[in-house]
Amino acid sequence: MNSSRSLGLMLLTPAIVLVVLFFLVPVALTAVFSFTNMSTATGITGGAYQIGPSSMQRLGDKYGFPELAERLSQPSYVIDERGLAALESGGVDAPAITEMRTHLGEVFPTRREAERMIKGLNARPSTREVKQISEQFNRSLLDTRYESEGDLLAGLDALGVEVTPAERDAVAASSYSGWTWTTENFRRMVSTPDTLRTLINTVFYVAIVLVLFNTGYAMFLAITTYYMPETTGGIFRSIWLLPRITPPVIYVLMWKWLAWDTGFISMFLGQFGVAPKNWMLDSSTNAWVFVILINGFVGASMGMLVFSSALRAIPKSQFYASEVDGASRWQQIRYIILPQMRWPILFVTCYQTLSLLASFDLILLSTEGGPGGATEVWSLMTYHTALSNYAGNLEYGYGTALSLVLVVIGVTLSLIYLRVFNYNALVAKPLIEQ
Amino acid sequence: MTILRGLMRATALVAVTAALAGPALAKDVTISVWAGGTGPNDVYRVDSIDIAADILEREAAIRGEELNITVEKTTYPGWPDFKQALTLSAEAGNPPNIVVSGHEDIAPWAQSGLIVPVEDYVDLDAWPLSAIYPNLMEIASYSGSVYGIPQDAESRPFFFWRPSMLAIGYTDADLDALPQKVQDGAYTLANVLEDAKKMQDAGVVQPGYGFYPRPSNGPDYWQFYRSFGGTLEENGKLVFDRAAMTKFYQFFVDAVAAGVTKKNHIGMDDATWWADIGAGKAGIWHGGTWHYARYVNQEGMKDFFGNVQFSLIPAGDAQGKANTLTHPLVYLLTANKDEELVQIAADLITIASEPQINVLHAIKSAHLGISEEETTLALYSDNRWASEASQRLLPYATAMPNNANFGVYWDAMWAGLQASWTGTKTVDQAISDVETTLKSGLGDAIIIR
Repeated sequence: MNSSRSLGLMLLTPAIVLVVLFFLVPVALTAVFSFTNMSTATGITGGAYQIGPSSMQRLGDKYGFPELAERLSQPSYVIDERGLAALESGGVDAPAITEMRTHLGEVFPTRREAERMIKGLNARPSTREVKQISEQFNRSLLDTRYESEGDLLAGLDALGVEVTPAERDAVAASSYSGWTWTTENFRRMVSTPDTLRTLINTVFYVAIVLVLFNTGYAMFLAITTYYMPETTGGIFRSIWLLPRITPPVIYVLMWKWLAWDTGFISMFLGQFGVAPKNWMLDSSTNAWVFVILINGFVGASMGMLVFSSALRAIPKSQFYASEVDGASRWQQIRYIILPQMRWPILFVTCYQTLSLLASFDLILLSTEGGPGGATEVWSLMTYHTALSNYAGNLEYGYGTALSLVLVVIGVTLSLIYLRVFNYNALVAKPLIEQ
Repeated sequence: MTILRGLMRATALVAVTAALAGPALAKDVTISVWAGGTGPNDVYRVDSIDIAADILEREAAIRGEELNITVEKTTYPGWPDFKQALTLSAEAGNPPNIVVSGHEDIAPWAQSGLIVPVEDYVDLDAWPLSAIYPNLMEIASYSGSVYGIPQDAESRPFFFWRPSMLAIGYTDADLDALPQKVQDGAYTLANVLEDAKKMQDAGVVQPGYGFYPRPSNGPDYWQFYRSFGGTLEENGKLVFDRAAMTKFYQFFVDAVAAGVTKKNHIGMDDATWWADIGAGKAGIWHGGTWHYARYVNQEGMKDFFGNVQFSLIPAGDAQGKANTLTHPLVYLLTANKDEELVQIAADLITIASEPQINVLHAIKSAHLGISEEETTLALYSDNRWASEASQRLLPYATAMPNNANFGVYWDAMWAGLQASWTGTKTVDQAISDVETTLKSGLGDAIIIR
């Protein structure tokens, strides 16, 4: 018993590892990231401490220490003994140090001015050496990147600035460039006006594509091809697989050729005096029709395959018997086929709901959420937020908060489907085994 | 025999010494450079690094060092893919050594430590960097440090198709005087709509082609906000000027209402847009100085100056003024544990900024030069487009802010513009939504007025 249990566990292990790696860990990370303000600007691995104009503006405005901010904002390069000693221990040539000593006590308001003096030394230091030397006389924290709060505060101490504990905390907080924990993403999500419209778009998109194509049309194709001669049915099923096996970029490009100003529809209608236009983006309704057709034609094929194979599992004898009893095609569908398709319908509905919720590639390629955000769905909004930004700042934190909503919706819907289709009854042991 | 053995030993010793000494002196480095927004006309953005590598190797040879630089070049024709690829490769700890990107990326990438200040590695007082226009160096700076070296300059003109303008009553003399009228504020965006309508009514251009703006997101649209008096940044804080943004959105809504711009213009195929302009189908449009290269090289426009007049972006009303935007690309250095590699990259971009090398990019791609000296080189001064565009546009060019929060503002502006342009929202509703989005996304990091 024990050995069979461990054998069972062993056999399950690969599945468990995969589920953990590719489902649980990503979901957990999504949940964690969604409570941060992570972006390209903050970095993922952690931030640094840097005093610059914007951080000093925060120190003044947000933390109320404008005088301290003003003081820390002053760049200053001072030729002093401390710097000369650092040069000696740093391996700079003696003549250069001797020459630097003649400038003892000189103060330069900017790094560039200090470096101009160093560059003019008779020792003719290279650009790299100039930079190394000037750094030793930097008596300001400005524009120095400190890897930890301790380093920053040590720098503050070395500068001789006397600060209260509150001021130290404020300097550290305002100069921190990394990410912080926050619930701001969820507040922002709720208070942003377009969120609700995107949610409604998503529900509309998933429901329509799912009902009309991924299950409805798929079932229609499966049943009609079932009643066709074998070869003809096979040909039709192969044709309906084409949208799925065509690379998405080419598939959408073909739709664009159909719909563009210079595309087939415009050319055809041009014969009847209709002015050419971009039919796909002409109005919200047009855009939705195209988005639904583009996704539906791809989605229908999967349901078609699943339903077709499920149909073949129904014993032929049932059809023969019904025909002997004089049943029509419709009656066969209604009383023989559909009742035995509950399991595949559950699977296709569940799988395709999650798939549609998460899919945005075809919309991105076709309408990019347009016109004017009319076809922007939740996953596309997540993509736009987390992975696409014209100004180079991807918002990972807000993006993951948006995708966390999708995870919650997906799990909730799955549970509802299991209940609606009475999953327990479907997986119940056959009576003969009880 | 002993002599022979001794000779063999000596030979072996020499061979081993040579083998050891050779690699000790030779240094092989690989420098990768990635450039965004780089099409066939812009290859010198990365090729100039090749030329610089050759010079740097020769300089090293003269100093008695053997330096072998392999330059790995990657170009991306668009922007979003490039920025996504770059930021993700940097997060994965594997960014290229040199990046050629828009200056607006400096703020977020500097904050995250993805890039390091160029100032730490180069002498800004030495030629050729000392000769670069100071305003361009300013645009390449963030938080008090110079982070990038300007790779090119450009500005974004308004274009008029001369034959169509002549057909609605303008004379050649009027058209020659038009740039000055635009600059003085005597010809405004309202006149643009009037003239576009006239062209369509006269049947010179088809409906929807009178005013034919850029069909995709881009920095160009901020110019219209400025045309109506909008400010982007003040004392390091972003500014949302409600009145200017409203008038900017309303302008495009009016253009659609007048039928001179299509409601579904945004999202049209880029190639069709270029081809339509090249074929003279558009009446008035806007673009960048580098569009000249595209029109002439790819779209087969034979007589550019005979067919096209160009000017600043006209003022929207009395509050705004004619303007243009410069969006210089910059050479950036990514952070790397190997400081020597960063130094070599810095040396390369310094050499690549020499006028003689930079001018190859400027003229081939129809961008503008980065220094006064560059404009005096024969290749540049003999080029009518480069000279006239520099003179007419560059003195009035402004740039977008280097601000880490600018991306959120930009996204909101673009979403609002598209929504009102396509009629998905009214202008007031779009403005109100943009304002709420900015308040919830940026809080007190943006001034709303």
